[in-house]
Amino acid sequence: MGLADKDNEIIDKQGPGFIITSVDKLVNWARTGSMWPVTLGLACCGIEMMHSAAARYDTDRFGVFYRPSPRQSDVMIVAGTLVNKMAPALRKVYDQMAEPKWVISMGSCANGGGYYHHSYSVVRGCDQIIPVDIYVPGCPPTAEALINGIIELQKKIKAEESIADG
Amino acid sequence: MDKNSNIDIINNKLTEFNLAFLDNDQNLIIEIDQVELINACKILKTDSDLDYSMLIDVCAVDYLTYGEADWTTTDATNSGYSRAVKQTIIPEADETFTNRFAVFYQLLSLSYNKRLTLKVFTTESNPPSVPSINKIWNSANWFEREAFDLMGIHFKGHPDLRRILTDYGFIGHPFRKDFPTNGNLEVVYDEDEERVIYQPVSISTRPSVPKVIRDKNDRK
Amino acid sequence: MTESNLTLNFGPQHPAAHGVLRLIMELDGEVVKNLDPHIGLLHRGTEKLAEIKPYNHSIGYMDRMDYVSMMCCEHPYVLAIENLLNITPPRRAQYIRVMFDEITRLMNHLLWLGCHGLDIGAMALFLYCFREREDLYDCYEAVSGARMHATYYRPGGVYRDLPEQMPKYQANRYISEKKVKRLNYNREGSLLDFIEDFTDRFPSLVDEYETLLTDNRIWKQRTVDIGVVTPERAIDLGFTGPMLRGSGIEWDLRRKQPYEVYEELDFLIPIGLNGDCYDRYLVRVEEMRQSNNIIQQCIQWLRDNPGPVIIDDNRYASPKRSDMKHDMESLIYHFKLFTEGYSVPKGEVYSAIEHPKGEFGVFLMSDGANMPYRMKVRPPSFAHLAAIDEMSKGHMLADVVSIIGTLDIVFGEIDR
Repeated sequence: MGLADKDNEIIDKQGPGFIITSVDKLVNWARTGSMWPVTLGLACCGIEMMHSAAARYDTDRFGVFYRPSPRQSDVMIVAGTLVNKMAPALRKVYDQMAEPKWVISMGSCANGGGYYHHSYSVVRGCDQIIPVDIYVPGCPPTAEALINGIIELQKKIKAEESIADG
Repeated sequence: MDKNSNIDIINNKLTEFNLAFLDNDQNLIIEIDQVELINACKILKTDSDLDYSMLIDVCAVDYLTYGEADWTTTDATNSGYSRAVKQTIIPEADETFTNRFAVFYQLLSLSYNKRLTLKVFTTESNPPSVPSINKIWNSANWFEREAFDLMGIHFKGHPDLRRILTDYGFIGHPFRKDFPTNGNLEVVYDEDEERVIYQPVSISTRPSVPKVIRDKNDRK
Repeated sequence: MTESNLTLNFGPQHPAAHGVLRLIMELDGEVVKNLDPHIGLLHRGTEKLAEIKPYNHSIGYMDRMDYVSMMCCEHPYVLAIENLLNITPPRRAQYIRVMFDEITRLMNHLLWLGCHGLDIGAMALFLYCFREREDLYDCYEAVSGARMHATYYRPGGVYRDLPEQMPKYQANRYISEKKVKRLNYNREGSLLDFIEDFTDRFPSLVDEYETLLTDNRIWKQRTVDIGVVTPERAIDLGFTGPMLRGSGIEWDLRRKQPYEVYEELDFLIPIGLNGDCYDRYLVRVEEMRQSNNIIQQCIQWLRDNPGPVIIDDNRYASPKRSDMKHDMESLIYHFKLFTEGYSVPKGEVYSAIEHPKGEFGVFLMSDGANMPYRMKVRPPSFAHLAAIDEMSKGHMLADVVSIIGTLDIVFGEIDR
């Protein structure tokens, strides 16, 4: 007990305060305005991912710019079926990404095994290997659905209180 | 592609081999013994009237459950669901089953525009084996590796017979009929060990649509 | 002092790997000494799953094999089933299948050109090719409802007839009515009008791509004399399709072993001379032009000849829904088809078509049941990738990227 705890109580009751929430908003705006995914197109969903980056559904206008290296990216879009043989490589790519990082699981194969759920060599959902933030359903999800997923991730990031949480 | 003339030519060239022509409207299938395979293939490739210059495909088949159905369909019954013949759809490995594995080779002659299918039963040994035709047609390389990986058939004389499609350190041969579709192991990330580990599979094999054989199919 | 080779892992996650390819390369400096491809990183066990599902349920698996040319993968499977059942689809269905096969060929070659260019460095081509692909995806969507995996071909014909209307853009607060009118100019008629407009525009677009690449010094330096394959080696290694034709061998299943209605259509087959990457590029670009020609002929025939698009036999093709609701026999057929599926007589058949990548074949073995006993897919890229070691010996590391591009591989069909 003492004066320090009393300060904490006041902070908890009032919330983080004006400056911290403003800095939070700024940080979140910067993060969502330029999400750079690492290219991890495994199967058919990878083609729809490429279509979402191409001329008609341009993700570059959202600031989404694909990077080949995981060290330079902050989002991983798992697009396609994750197979037992590929799982360690996927985990390695995820571990190489720097914090803060997010994962979008694209397509029903990455969500829960999908069309290949009953197969002996398929991981039933990439969330067995990595923590996932957004699941985009579809087989494959249309390019528009993927862009919807990216926008949902932006909303999720904006709702995070990065500085306030410490 | 006149099938009868094709049969005559092949009969003439391969008289010393013990051939069986299988009746099939669409493809010409020849069954041949595995000890005679290499010599027959050499003639098929080099003879100028046959000239089967390309090997298209190598397919391995497991005859363990051939003709076995999950539901009986011959008699009507007043106890509906008891038609199910088996409780589970994963058969037991049967050591006494003869002629279990066969390999189908698809050959193509570019100059005569003809196709041919060779059917070869493997030896009864464990693992079943067949001579490799990689020296005759180089395209057999990966196809034979795949047949070894998925069916467990050993190709004698293959330069580099190792697993190609299944996981590193995979145990078993998945396309055999006694291997469950769901497999035996699955991967998961373990937070404590900080790596991907194998654990027994958590879903069970159950048939979604039972296999039904209807013999009374009339082909027009 | 001993020198040892550098063993490099060209890992499964790599922008130029065209999917999940792992190459273990032994390099002496920059020169490749030995290449060992590790595949199986997309092995999903499709053929095993097909053994526990009725025949029509596996048509969707065939789409997902070569996921850049979807309907061409369904085609040999459906042909194999029709072979065993001894049925033939109606003429109109065959013309629709041929038209969509050629549309699929365009899709495949456009993606190949875009990605090959992207790997080698011509990045603008990616956007141009994908712009055309979007129009072709609209064709797929109009006829089946899905942009990519259509599941449109069925044993006995195709799922349904070509629609009379195309989906149109609508005005909203970001796009004005005037702009919408401009965007919808080719969607005012039926699907055939849309495809016809595409085929009218397409040759000039291919001319644009050729101006970018064909006489380009950099493109030529990166592709001429790279990955040369002599005709004898090409046959021995099991090459088919543009890989074989690029080496000078006249072999095209559409001409030599015609299926569907290719005998009635008028088109040319391009052949290469030297068997290097540049020749294969020229062969594929010319194939795009020829496919365009075939599509125009199909559109003309389809306009002039209405008719059924699936066989009348309700044992294999489900009856119309309106009939099912009032007719007892139709209801019984519908029930049996959708619960158990049709049973295929005993037999084995291998049927192959001229897929954009080569010869895509399906070996189907039935023991009289409603599910295949063994279904084996013969993918063209499998044989092509097996030859990468031989093709890249002595080349530099950057040439390996050109060779992977020219092989036109897709891991969905290699690993199945």
